[in-house]
Amino acid sequence: MQFFSRKNWWKILGVLLIYYVLIYGFLIEVPRLSILNETIRNLFFHVALWFAMFILLIVSVVYSVKYLKNSDLNVDIIASEFATAGIVFGVMGISTGSIWARFTWGDWWVNDPKLNATTIALLIYLAYFVLRSSIEDNHQKGRISAVYNIFAFAAAVPLIFILPRLTDSLHPGSGGNPGFSAYDLDNNLRKVFYPAVVGWSLIGVWFTTMRIRIKKLKMITEEHHLN
Amino acid sequence: MVFVPCSLAQNEENTKVEMADNMRAEGKIYVVVLVVTIVFTGLTIYAINTERRLTKLEKEMRSLKSEEDS
Amino acid sequence: MILKEIWTLVKKEILIELRMKYALSGMILYLVSSIFLGYITFSLGRAQINPLTWNVLFWIIMLFVATNSIAKSFIQESKERLLYFYTIADPQSIIMSKILFNCILMLFLVISGFIIYIILMGNPVEDVGLFILSLLLGSLGFSTTFTMISSIASKASNSGTLMAILGFPIIIPMLLLLIKISKNAIEGLDRSSANDEIITLVAIIIIAISTSILLFPYLWRSN
Repeated sequence: MQFFSRKNWWKILGVLLIYYVLIYGFLIEVPRLSILNETIRNLFFHVALWFAMFILLIVSVVYSVKYLKNSDLNVDIIASEFATAGIVFGVMGISTGSIWARFTWGDWWVNDPKLNATTIALLIYLAYFVLRSSIEDNHQKGRISAVYNIFAFAAAVPLIFILPRLTDSLHPGSGGNPGFSAYDLDNNLRKVFYPAVVGWSLIGVWFTTMRIRIKKLKMITEEHHLN
Repeated sequence: MVFVPCSLAQNEENTKVEMADNMRAEGKIYVVVLVVTIVFTGLTIYAINTERRLTKLEKEMRSLKSEEDS
Repeated sequence: MILKEIWTLVKKEILIELRMKYALSGMILYLVSSIFLGYITFSLGRAQINPLTWNVLFWIIMLFVATNSIAKSFIQESKERLLYFYTIADPQSIIMSKILFNCILMLFLVISGFIIYIILMGNPVEDVGLFILSLLLGSLGFSTTFTMISSIASKASNSGTLMAILGFPIIIPMLLLLIKISKNAIEGLDRSSANDEIITLVAIIIIAISTSILLFPYLWRSN
């Protein structure tokens, strides 16, 4: 099967990593903490998805910068598809977080700075797509949305990470401390968590590259029909 | 509600924290793992299928293009 | 050299604004009407308004005034005029001059808004100095973000609603910081308590200005 070729190694790696996470994530021994109980295993899903989302959004911004430099429409496709993937992962992150919150903090949604911050991030990227749909010409579309992508990222996203640290929050790792020091990553947890971040990111990248390839094919067939 | 972690130093307290030990003891946890892996396998096969159709389409496109150019 | 260019452009903007008085008076009217609306709706209950609500209402009104007034800076410019500027000035000077002009405009609107607000809704502010600082930072913050957003939105159809869609999510973190600082001013807390927020706000404003200057040339090109 041509799928198992050399150039697809990273896709296979992503799949294998997720298998690892799914199996060991449930079987591995985790710290016993009250309130959280077994839900601490959500670390490998909810938190890992956030990290993956962040990675995808960074890729999107990087390609936006690239587009401004070379105006290649293919680069614009990459930037927008990674933004889409970022939104998808963001929604998955929020939903997994919401379920987790219902069982540990008591409510589906709470007034917590990290939650508000991520809603803002999601709103920004949804606005990105509204902007794209309101411009006709492809080159203009790419350029204007690239500018917005970069501007919004620079002006709001760093803040989204800093503000929760300044205030108190239900989330662990706020009210002064960085990272998850509240239930500091146990060695066992680390063994599944880091592979989870890589695994979800790779899956995200794989799906995004497939969508990019579909878009490129569409572009080629459109050009064909115009000729 | 501020989250307060349980100190791991107190061992007796530890076993009092409810975990899924029961599930694990009766081997039910393996059912969970099995179900989850089956679902993921299904999705992966779907993804690989899409991937292969994509590569086929791209190959066709490339050969059509080279036919045109030549 | 560039500074002189910027200054000339700013003076031009001010002149245009003063000549076409209808835009500025329109904004002031919008301001007064919103404040009056707030006054009417809140005094219906006869109860004295909670200082925190007072504060938040003020900033929300300012936010809408900012969105509407700064939207004009790019969206209402005619194509011919834009083309003319394209030939005579650097893009960096243009965006800097617009930002500066909008800042001056916002300062004027914010301070007049504050005065009218005090007259109608009472003045619970303890530390006026700190509050004025928040007004200053607010004008600068609104101006830098919305000027850039206005230039982006002007390239698309349906610019009016786009301004809000694009701008609001970005301005929310800044707004939160402003509200926090002004809340401290109202409660008369020690000035240093708001230091973190002030520094962060200044940092974002600097980031916003620098990204605007870096990115604006790319927008300008599509003319």
